[in-house]
Amino acid sequence: MDYYLSQVINGICQGSIYALMAIGYSVVVGVVGLVTFTHGEVIMLGAFAAYFAFQFFGNNLILGIIASFSASAFIGIFVYKICYERFFDAPRHISLLLTIGVSMLLKNLTQILIGPNNMPLLGVVPNKFFGIGLVGVTLVQIIVIVTVISLSLLLFLLFNKTRWGIMLRAVSQDKKAAALMGINVKVTSMLGNCIGSGLGGIAGMLLAIYYQTLIATMGGSAGMKAFSASVLGGLTDIPSAALGGLSLGIIENLGITFASASFRDIFAFIFLLLVLLIKPEGFARKRGVRP
Amino acid sequence: MKMKIGAFVGKLPSWVKALGLAILGAALIALPIVYPKSYVMGVMCRIFMYMILAGSLNVINGYSGQFNIGHAGFYCIGAYTEAILATKVGLSFWIALPLGGVMAAVIGLLVATPTLKLRGTYLAIVTLGASEIIRLVALNWEGLTGGPIGIKGIPSPVLFGFKISKSIHYYYIFLALAALFFFVTYRVINSRIGRAWLSIREDELAARSLGVETRFYKAINFMYGAFWAGIAGAAFAPYFKFISSDMFSLDEGFNILSMVIIGGQGTLLGPAVGSIIVNFLTEFLRPISQFRLVVYALLIIIMMWLRPQGLVGASNSILAGKKIGGNLSRRGKGGAAVARAGGR
Repeated sequence: MDYYLSQVINGICQGSIYALMAIGYSVVVGVVGLVTFTHGEVIMLGAFAAYFAFQFFGNNLILGIIASFSASAFIGIFVYKICYERFFDAPRHISLLLTIGVSMLLKNLTQILIGPNNMPLLGVVPNKFFGIGLVGVTLVQIIVIVTVISLSLLLFLLFNKTRWGIMLRAVSQDKKAAALMGINVKVTSMLGNCIGSGLGGIAGMLLAIYYQTLIATMGGSAGMKAFSASVLGGLTDIPSAALGGLSLGIIENLGITFASASFRDIFAFIFLLLVLLIKPEGFARKRGVRP
Repeated sequence: MKMKIGAFVGKLPSWVKALGLAILGAALIALPIVYPKSYVMGVMCRIFMYMILAGSLNVINGYSGQFNIGHAGFYCIGAYTEAILATKVGLSFWIALPLGGVMAAVIGLLVATPTLKLRGTYLAIVTLGASEIIRLVALNWEGLTGGPIGIKGIPSPVLFGFKISKSIHYYYIFLALAALFFFVTYRVINSRIGRAWLSIREDELAARSLGVETRFYKAINFMYGAFWAGIAGAAFAPYFKFISSDMFSLDEGFNILSMVIIGGQGTLLGPAVGSIIVNFLTEFLRPISQFRLVVYALLIIIMMWLRPQGLVGASNSILAGKKIGGNLSRRGKGGAAVARAGGR
């Protein structure tokens, strides 16, 4: 029983990282309106940015968050300029294939420049352990959950209380109407892409801290988990995507109590297939533009 | 680049085409006799194998407008099916070869079924996931697939008591398979089924309203593509004598995808051209092989920016970046897919 309870806690912790990735993915897809395959690579680059920040400036978490957010947001501009800007009116497969090309490019360039091996990332967070009743929680898990919750609150405030947020929501609902209201759709789309990519980058940093290791090929499975989680929200609805990420984490960690841990990535795939079979449109509130 | 190779070839009289094909076939059959170097034979074997792989991916991506980006998964299933049947059961290659294709088609149907109702994006991510999951299963199911060690010593096929073991012999096997693939695909594309696929690609809603059972034809299409990928894998296993799960990574799938895009989606000739170009590039880039996939990625990006229909694609299809609405008035110009889809 203890074991299952601690697996649930591990699941909540990992699930909150997946939730952050899925939130980023939903922001990108919602605001830009086109699907991306670069999200996994953006997550990986965020993790590496944080890694180098920790190497050069010491283990400061705030610094790591800033480094990973800004690096991934910069990659977001790059992705936007190459894959989306000229192709809003073109058939969808063009931007889709372009994102696949960019993701190949980023992954292989990282493999060449940084190296294809696992890199350890130790001692960013002191290895403390708190016992609460029957189960124990580590400091890393608390930090991860607190970071994700505070970032989600920040995003909620940005989307609901600021002028930028209103612009972003308007663009995600209807690009033409937004343009008629005097919103610069292209700049706003780029901004949305940057915010979504930046959140993905922070999620990458949290993944690297949680597993204490990072590798240039981590983007593949991370991107697929982000997609699987956001399918629950119809790829655009942010709260359902967060819920999807959380449940994906719990399912994964309960799943590996029955099967071997090397089958971990299979559960994300089964989750994706089940959602697509049972409720393919997700739990999105609005029914309208779908990527 | 206003040259329309497809249109030019389309206008030639049929006897010229038949003569050209006959000369090409004779040259390909004679090549090993004239120039039997094993390095050249190896490269040619790979070119033919990737022609089948890229061609079958093109049937899915180019002809019906679905997105499969995990083609390596079906290739992997074909290769493992042949290897397991040949080493553990002792079946002959000639029985295991079609079984590999059938197995890949069945798995392909399972993968595609949940997404048939949805837009192509979902199929793309499901195939990407499936390719990775198939590789993970092959890596971890040690009892059946040998796990990380892979399967060694796959027996060579025997034809009428003659053991096929050298590259020259495999050259003829791959040549025959590629020729069979192109012949069958040509016939299918120009049949009722092929026209249904084209109509789904150009406008799924219009196709459905004209009575095309889109889900059925999409499933058939996916199974057909997966079947030929399985055949290619099953022919590859005894040729290489050894398979392991890391030969079928996502990069392999992207490799096949880049051939289709560079050559031209939605044309029979495109993937063949793409396979030749990419395989020659692979040989040229051998000294700096770690940059291979970077070059392919850049080629995909450049092609999508400058010529989204690929090197030999038709310029007035949806694949060329134009939506169909503005195109209807240009019907009949050139050997265009739009005219073919609606005209007959």
